[in-house]
Amino acid sequence: MTPDERASEPADVVELPAASRATDIALDELEIVYAFIYARVGNRADAEDLTQQVAMKAIPRLRQGAPASAIRGYLFATARSVLGGFWSTRLGLSEAELHEDLALALPTSPPSEESADTVQQILAQLSDNYRHVLELRFLHGYSLKEVAAEMNSTVGAIKVMQLRALRAAAKVRPLE
Amino acid sequence: MNGRPENRVEKIVADLLRGRRLKLRGGDAEEKAAITAAARLAGARQGPQRMQPAFRKRLAQSLEHAPSEGWITRRSALVAGIGLAAGAAGGVLLGRTAGPEPVKASETIEPVDGRWIDVGAANDLVEGQGKRVVAGGIGAYLFRRGDQVTAVSSICSHLPCELWWDGAGGHLACPCHPAKFMSDGRPTDPYALPTLNKVHVRVTPSGRVEVLGTA
Repeated sequence: MTPDERASEPADVVELPAASRATDIALDELEIVYAFIYARVGNRADAEDLTQQVAMKAIPRLRQGAPASAIRGYLFATARSVLGGFWSTRLGLSEAELHEDLALALPTSPPSEESADTVQQILAQLSDNYRHVLELRFLHGYSLKEVAAEMNSTVGAIKVMQLRALRAAAKVRPLE
Repeated sequence: MNGRPENRVEKIVADLLRGRRLKLRGGDAEEKAAITAAARLAGARQGPQRMQPAFRKRLAQSLEHAPSEGWITRRSALVAGIGLAAGAAGGVLLGRTAGPEPVKASETIEPVDGRWIDVGAANDLVEGQGKRVVAGGIGAYLFRRGDQVTAVSSICSHLPCELWWDGAGGHLACPCHPAKFMSDGRPTDPYALPTLNKVHVRVTPSGRVEVLGTA
């Protein structure tokens, strides 16, 4: 170790050098993976955990500095595996028991278009009431009480309708 | 009331809409289709998501500097014990801290000034079932097989979260991500996680179980 190296040893926090070109490429790919995962788990904390797991498993490949196209397939295969593990653990099911409606297929379009398009396709195939309750709740952020007021119903009835609407939404196969 | 499916799913929906992580419990599997649909709708409601800058930075750091096995410095969690695990349950990576080398999972925890702490009678341990005990700042799961009692850390070898004993599955499960461990600390899942740290344990002649913990 040279004196310079010794002098640059960390005190409390490790200062890291600027990311390398290979890391930049990897991060850009992981952004797509993150969006893919977020669109399926619906929250940041779980999406970060799972993206982190994908990255961890893929580190050897990412470090090779391979072009984006070469690692994308590997990353999404890994992401599907990690998502499968996530749902099976959280739901207490074997992966074989998980229905394929978990929609782990590779996205064919950029995630920026994938999520919104898919959701619109799903909602468009629901009955008016089901679509309305899900739109108000998820897209407009209404509380149950607000949804009930908007739809001239009760909170209890809206809760049941929401459950049925979600079950129906799960059965819709988005156009790929 | 809360056991009704519409109530259980509503709780999950409400959590998702508040940006909270998915917390599922027994019976939710029956509504897996509705729950996964809710997660997808919640994921789409704010449009496409990009990583938060802080998370992207941590990923960059990890990619640049990750050791071959895992990225998480768990030393802080192991030393500080259970309290930190709860604080880290947000699912974030711990920063890579300077100082002594991180404790490698699978090593046995050697607390400085450790002391043997009575955690119960060996006869109270059900064979094949994990029992969580606390010995000062060290949390552990005990397992008895015949006269032998073994102990592993109750903190996951990946994210610093408190494991729970899944009696039905016969394994330790991490609440923060999909990771499971067998009673000997080895991971059951395909993520190639490190094994859990072992914890010193002994059985006294009078049949009491003692764990090497902290004051």
